[in-house]
Amino acid sequence: MMNPGSIRFRLTVWYAGVLAGILVLFSLAIYVGVSTFLRRNLHGSVVKDAQEVGSIVRENANERDETAIGREVGEHFSAESNERFVRVLAGDGTLIYSSGSDQVFPPWSNSSSDWAFEMTHRPPGKEEVLIWTEPVLAESGKRYFVQVAASQAYNNDVLRDLLGVLLLALVVATAIAISGGFFLIRSSLKPLDNIASRAQKITSRNLHERMPEHNTGDELQQLSVSLNRMIEKLEESFHHISRFSADASHELRTPLTIMRGELETALQDQSTSPEAREVLGSVLEETVRLSKIVDQLLTISRLDAGEASIEVSRFDFAELVRTTVEHMRLLADEKNIPLRVEAADAVHVEGDRYRLQQVVVNLLDNAVKYTPEGGSVNVKVGADGDKAVLTVTDSGIGIPQEAQTHIFERFYRTDKARSRQMGGTGLGLSIVKSIGAAHGGQVSVQSAEGRGSTFRFEIPRSSVSADAGSASSESQAIASAKPIEIA
Amino acid sequence: MRLLLVEDEEKVVDFVQRGLTAERFAVDVARDGVAGLELAQSYDYDLIILDLLLPGMDGTEVLRKIRRADRQIPILILTARDAVHDKVTHFEAGADDYLTKPFAFAELLVRIKALLRRGATRQETVLRVGDVELDRLSQQVRRSGKRIELTSKEYSLLEYLMANAGRVLSRTMIIEHVWDQSFDGATNIVDVYVRHLRDKVDEGREGNLIRTVRGVGYAISDKEE
Repeated sequence: MMNPGSIRFRLTVWYAGVLAGILVLFSLAIYVGVSTFLRRNLHGSVVKDAQEVGSIVRENANERDETAIGREVGEHFSAESNERFVRVLAGDGTLIYSSGSDQVFPPWSNSSSDWAFEMTHRPPGKEEVLIWTEPVLAESGKRYFVQVAASQAYNNDVLRDLLGVLLLALVVATAIAISGGFFLIRSSLKPLDNIASRAQKITSRNLHERMPEHNTGDELQQLSVSLNRMIEKLEESFHHISRFSADASHELRTPLTIMRGELETALQDQSTSPEAREVLGSVLEETVRLSKIVDQLLTISRLDAGEASIEVSRFDFAELVRTTVEHMRLLADEKNIPLRVEAADAVHVEGDRYRLQQVVVNLLDNAVKYTPEGGSVNVKVGADGDKAVLTVTDSGIGIPQEAQTHIFERFYRTDKARSRQMGGTGLGLSIVKSIGAAHGGQVSVQSAEGRGSTFRFEIPRSSVSADAGSASSESQAIASAKPIEIA
Repeated sequence: MRLLLVEDEEKVVDFVQRGLTAERFAVDVARDGVAGLELAQSYDYDLIILDLLLPGMDGTEVLRKIRRADRQIPILILTARDAVHDKVTHFEAGADDYLTKPFAFAELLVRIKALLRRGATRQETVLRVGDVELDRLSQQVRRSGKRIELTSKEYSLLEYLMANAGRVLSRTMIIEHVWDQSFDGATNIVDVYVRHLRDKVDEGREGNLIRTVRGVGYAISDKEE
């Protein structure tokens, strides 16, 4: 369910990881702190007890014999109630007094140390004990050792419980962090998803649309604002480009008008010699072609910019194809090319009749143009799922593989000399593509060099349930219709 | 017939004026919108040819002002602006026809004549050029009394040529009238159909009734070349 590469996943992992790390360090600090405190506490009280017992020993060392020392200690220091074990040894290691079981202490080894020292010892089958050994020097010069032992059982219990609590807290906190973090991140990234899906829907045709900018002051608002600014710039440059094409075409038209007019007038002039007439006629032909190129360029740039208003009506595409082909049949007849039309039942579409007729004309003209005499051209129109599909198949010269992706580009010609000789502007297929895109459809080609080509043009079919009456009279700019993707 | 041409591009003015004068029209010229409006309001013209991008006052404004004063006078817009909404706007503002630059002079002429004829929509039922006879009611064509079988496209083509006999018609005009503008992409459709029509009409005869005018288009006339 979760994509390990997603920000959501990575953020959650980082968040939980860092939190767990901090908790571990914190727990460690608490543990070490408490353990040190307990140990120091125990140490302090053991030392205090040892000193107390030491002073009893010192007070009694001179007057009484050594058993009396033991008795005095036993009377004055209640080891049991203090949960201490006390043992008093003579300087030579002879046991003078022991509060309970001697086994708490390790066997006395020769210790001539004058220093107090601490040690730990684990008597067999019992908890570890902390032992403080305090040397006592009596006034008589006799040496004694007072040893006080305290069990660490309590400390260990406290630490064990603490560890348990800390571990439990660590696990629970991490779990809460993961789930809480996940939901938090998910909810804070949700607007991002919205932005992404909105952005995906924006194409060159609906550049006027913007992201919603919720006034939250957060980074997502910033993102929306930046995206909007970017879209605005895109829109500006897009308009700039199409504006430029329009202006350029417009500016080209005036000189073309003058050229054409002057040439026509000169041709009308009876005093013009036949040779000059030939030249003027040829120049006029090219002028007319140039005008046509300018016109078509403008048409394409308008279509691509979504500016061309398209008259939308609902009609039978199959019928349009049939009649259009009939109007052009002579072109194929002239080259002895059998022209077959397979038109299924009515295929209703909603679109611009005029533009879609242009598509049929351009595709058919192309097919006839590039099919040698004796070849064949098949036109087929029908429905394929929710698409209306027109295919034009010829047995012509075909298109080289490497050229197939380029033939819909403006002015692209596979065989420059040949196609120019054939007339045409080099824009026919670009127009087909632009018209297709403006209708939410596309055009594609399959071709084998030397064996012919098949052009496939498809646009959405109008839904069967659509009410023919209400749709047919409607006319609107297609740009304002549902978002249209560019093929 | 007196026409007013409102156009600021000197060279366009030049050849349009020459061409129309040759067709026996009297042509007055205004080179900006204000002058155009003044002339239009001062004289009684039969038709006004109006450019849109004009210094002084723009053509659309001139059109509206003229229309406010005069409902009748035919106005032909001659402009480089070819967007559909431009056409719609100006037809709504009262233009009678709309021709985009660059244009074939022949087309301008055909349109001017059509506008001047308007009202008197008498249409001849039988067209004659030389010994070719076209009956619009029965849609039959005879040459020297002998019936010529034509397809419907060939018939439309011949009818259009004959209705404008003696005038050169450009390929664009022919496509727009006989097919429609969307057939513009068909490279040589007019040439192919004219060739076939010519084969049928001129079958077994010397010379061509249908002339090809290099660079311009076709014309039908009984003055064989």
